[in-house]
Amino acid sequence: MMDNLKEILEALIFISVEPLTMEKMKEVLQDIPEAEIHQAAEDLAARYASGGCAIRILQTAGGYVFSTKPEYDPYVRRLLQIERKKKLSVQALETLSAVAYHQPVTLAEISAIRSVDSTYALHTLLENKLIKIVGRKEAPGRPLVYRTTEKFLTYFGLNSIEDLPSEEELKKLMEEENA
Amino acid sequence: MLEEIEQAEAHDGYQVKLEVFEGPLDLLLFLIKKKKIDIHDIPIAVITREYLEYLGDKERINLDREAEFLLMAALLIYIKSQMLLPREQPIEPDIDPRKELVDHLVDYQKIKAVSALLREKEDEQSQIWKRSALTAPLPEADLDLIEVSLFDLAESFFTMMKRKQAEKQQVIKGKEISIAAKMNEIIGVLKERTFLDFLEYLGGQETLEEALVAFFCLLELIKARIVIAIQERLFQTIKVWLRRDAPMKVNS
Repeated sequence: MMDNLKEILEALIFISVEPLTMEKMKEVLQDIPEAEIHQAAEDLAARYASGGCAIRILQTAGGYVFSTKPEYDPYVRRLLQIERKKKLSVQALETLSAVAYHQPVTLAEISAIRSVDSTYALHTLLENKLIKIVGRKEAPGRPLVYRTTEKFLTYFGLNSIEDLPSEEELKKLMEEENA
Repeated sequence: MLEEIEQAEAHDGYQVKLEVFEGPLDLLLFLIKKKKIDIHDIPIAVITREYLEYLGDKERINLDREAEFLLMAALLIYIKSQMLLPREQPIEPDIDPRKELVDHLVDYQKIKAVSALLREKEDEQSQIWKRSALTAPLPEADLDLIEVSLFDLAESFFTMMKRKQAEKQQVIKGKEISIAAKMNEIIGVLKERTFLDFLEYLGGQETLEEALVAFFCLLELIKARIVIAIQERLFQTIKVWLRRDAPMKVNS
């Protein structure tokens, strides 16, 4: 075990603007086993989480990235002169949820799921790069097919799409609510 | 949202704006919840009456927005008529005329639950900042930048061509220049220097042919939204910037 492995990772994560993935870490630290790197990264994240620090390490989109802690949000915004971050509209969120759970999916399918024409919402999402076109469906009219992007994961702080509740979990949730 | 609607109801009788609802399914779910109905056994007559009451007050129908609500009303009435038909045997669950609608509602309910969850996550994320928030190689729009048109670019290019012709260069050996290679070269240069001066770059090309290729590459890159051509002020030099979200390499 390299005794400064944690510090090396700290430097690598610090310098990475996008989440630093395991592949990248392995590329840099060639002869160190993945399990060891993983452990060191987790230890490092725990060290930041334990307090005395305004930043922490997030695990998102399959990688590690530094972020500020929520309590410093007002100050950061003042520094960057940002009033507040834009939020997605309800339609955009619903459309995005439909894409996330039914991908790869077409516009017509999304509109059917919501019972509402979703053209506009879909375009907003495309523009924001939360979804992308991944091809065409072999169906009449060969409609475009959409999927969520990596940015979708980072935007919501998800590590992977599996972080969303599964169909079964949702079903359970619904039953509780309907009961 | 529920409280909001209930408040609105208490306030002015039954006037609830359809705009509050994302769509007909949203309205149906609201009614089901309000009447404390079991979603898997919807009393279709009751729900249809309620639903129509929401639509009925309207004097005019905005077809753009409310067509979907009307479609659902038609479906409800159709299902109701199916339920009313006399049958010899009790309805089996498989051929229950309500089944399709119920499945649809349950699916939509899931989507709503997920969006609520995503909203929570979004709120959480909106309070934390990553370094990616800072790396904005593109100057902000409020700097009064002018994105130049094709004509501006072409004009600049022709001025440069004339200048180059006047130099009367003798070209000895021809060099094959591929568009893809040139594009990647341009992207490479941009990565190094964040922006380049349009004229200076084209002027710096070895031959006219190469300059021509470079010009077409730039047009192509602008079209593909990989780079952006900007003039800081009128009559100033045109600068080409790499877009922040541009892909690393051009394949073709």
